[in-house]
Amino acid sequence: MKLEIDDKTVEIEAGNTLLAAARSIGIDIPTLCYHPALEPFGACRLCSVEIEKRGRTKVVTACNYPVEDGLIVRTNTPDIIEIRKLLLELLLARCPDEGRIQSLASEYGVSKPRFQIEDEHCILCGLCTRVCEELVGVSAINVISRGVEREVGAPYNELSDDCIGCGACALVCPTDAIRLEKNIYPTTAEDIQEIEGKFLEGERDEVLGVFSDLVAGKASTGGQDGGMVTALLISGMKNNLFDAALVVRRVEGYNAEAVVVEDEQGILSARGTKYLRVPMMSKLEAALKAGKRRIAVVGTPCEVKAVRKLQQQRDLEREYPGIELTILGLFCLESFDYDGLKADMSSRFDVELDKADKTQISKGKYIVTAGGKDYSCDVRDMEAIVREGCPYCGDFVSQLADISIGSVGSPDDCSTVIVRSKAGKKLLDAAEFVSAEVDKKQIVKLAKLKKRNADRNLATILDGVQ
Amino acid sequence: MAEINLKRVDEIIEGYKGEEGVLIQLLLDIQNEFNWISPEAIARISEQMRIPKSQIYRIASFYKAMSLKPVGRHIIHVCMGTACQVRGAPKILDRIEENLKIKEGETTSDMRFSLKRVNCLGCCAMGPVILVDGTYHGKITSAMVESILGQYE
Ligand SMILES: Cc1cc2nc3c(=O)[nH]c(=O)nc-3n(C[C@H](O)[C@H](O)[C@H](O)COP(=O)(O)OP(=O)(O)OC[C@H]3O[C@@H](n4cnc5c(N)ncnc54)[C@H](O)[C@@H]3O)c2cc1C
Ligand code: SF4
Ligand code: SF4
Ligand code: FES
Ligand code: FES
Repeated sequence: MKLEIDDKTVEIEAGNTLLAAARSIGIDIPTLCYHPALEPFGACRLCSVEIEKRGRTKVVTACNYPVEDGLIVRTNTPDIIEIRKLLLELLLARCPDEGRIQSLASEYGVSKPRFQIEDEHCILCGLCTRVCEELVGVSAINVISRGVEREVGAPYNELSDDCIGCGACALVCPTDAIRLEKNIYPTTAEDIQEIEGKFLEGERDEVLGVFSDLVAGKASTGGQDGGMVTALLISGMKNNLFDAALVVRRVEGYNAEAVVVEDEQGILSARGTKYLRVPMMSKLEAALKAGKRRIAVVGTPCEVKAVRKLQQQRDLEREYPGIELTILGLFCLESFDYDGLKADMSSRFDVELDKADKTQISKGKYIVTAGGKDYSCDVRDMEAIVREGCPYCGDFVSQLADISIGSVGSPDDCSTVIVRSKAGKKLLDAAEFVSAEVDKKQIVKLAKLKKRNADRNLATILDGVQ
Repeated sequence: MAEINLKRVDEIIEGYKGEEGVLIQLLLDIQNEFNWISPEAIARISEQMRIPKSQIYRIASFYKAMSLKPVGRHIIHVCMGTACQVRGAPKILDRIEENLKIKEGETTSDMRFSLKRVNCLGCCAMGPVILVDGTYHGKITSAMVESILGQYE
């Protein structure tokens, strides 16, 4: 395709957009809702340009207009400048405190909008919702409602059960809006620093996060590995460190749900790992609304992040006086999709997942125990059924928990335990277990691997951010 | 609150399984049958059709024909415009609230009525006025409330 942009000739393959064509020859067109890794949205119209075809001109958005042979494009006519000025004036009136809007506006000589000044932050560019849907894959947020009420948010304006706190939305948001959202948990590097300072205690390890103790242990309760989670919960409750625990237990077959338990029986019923991600935050809020205040939450790193973010951004003490959350974080490389795992087990081993006695991941092998027999395969071969979002999560060891527990790093039948706060220390001191040797190197190796993969994925997003 | 029968939701979903681009129709079916779309119904669709909840919610919150709050089979608008106020609209509202045992903005548990207040229905001469579905009832007194409501099943 051969076309002319601002009197320069450019040749580019069909299927490209006018924006790509212009940028390929160094012509800059301002954009707000465009990101190279995402489907164009055409929402902000800032990239408006004039095209001329068979003598007729019209204005189109360059970010989603495909190149055509013989097209004449003008990116800087007085009319186009006027359009951009007007758009920026409207945006500046809507979001007067946003730096990115301010600087674009001043670039175009727009300072005092003639329109009613509001104090919004979101410009409805949809970058966050698209990154969450198209790249991360969980689609926790969307542009909801219509007309003047349109806004970015989670369903029913309630805590999202789908958000994994990866922070991708915060990376792309051109304004402060996403950081002000109350129902999702984008955790940025600054958030992590703040949370560590506020809740954790110990030395900061580059890879494993803040911690004071690293031990391995085996409890008599039985469990996935050393049963340490179960033992910590039982002794914590006995010693009145909390009076309820949010745990995950099987409901039908292998499928699982988060439930609040208040006695030893309940804690025991949740033993064993279900390699799934289950709705957790709505259950936590429901428990708080039902009057529970001192709750131990057991969760994967993404869930730990979500709970911390909630503590950080909402005034929970005012909403639920006396609230005391103790967070037990699990190690996690990835989780699977229930339907996917079920189908995979059935086709791979002819095993009915719902009847499995146990599933585990050890030394790169996935092992399912059913009918007294073990079946195993490489976890790497199960990539297709990994739950969406996991590739964007860089936390293996639940860095923000009060205490983290996993299997990597300790002998078979033992759990590795990392203490990260006063509350975590108290919990460990109260528990009874036989200790064992920890191999820190193994933990570090996997933690680095997970971080590296996530960073690579997030880099694709960062690359396109302007 | 009016519970939505999830078994019935499953049946509706079943009728659309395997088809593409049916979400809007599916939501309309649920809306038509229950008069609203509950969080539980959205969770069910999400699970069964494998569509993230926020995408379903986006559509349900976009179309005027869909309601995310329970709405009764009949909607009563009580005019609280100045003219109607003067002619006793507050008493009418009180009586309706008493009669239906709900407050303004709510829906009866049998889903028969939703009650809303509006500002001036544009027929002040008829005040006090209430509008039920499409029908204006003018010059009413509290004593007439029961028989008016009785006309709606
Ligand atoms: C999805 C997932 C992936 C994991 N991947 C790894 C890994 O790669 N490497 C590693 O070393 N460890 C991993 N773990 C942690 C490991 O499997 C054990 O949970 C941990 O070692 C604790 O063992 P335990 O014997 O002390 O647990 P138990 O005493 O048996 O207690 C298990 C606890 O885990 C909770 N739980 C179970 N399933 C879930 C779930 N889906 N979501 C939230 N909580 C749940 C239960 O509420 C229960 O309280 C993973 C855990 C999960 C949930
Ligand atoms: S929250 Fe940010 S990224 Fe999302 S639509 Fe608003 S301005 Fe755009
Ligand atoms: S933090 Fe990640 S999962 Fe959560 S809304 Fe943002 S992009 Fe989506
Ligand atoms: S960048 Fe093209 S419409 Fe927003
Ligand atoms: S005030 Fe009631 S109709 Fe005008």
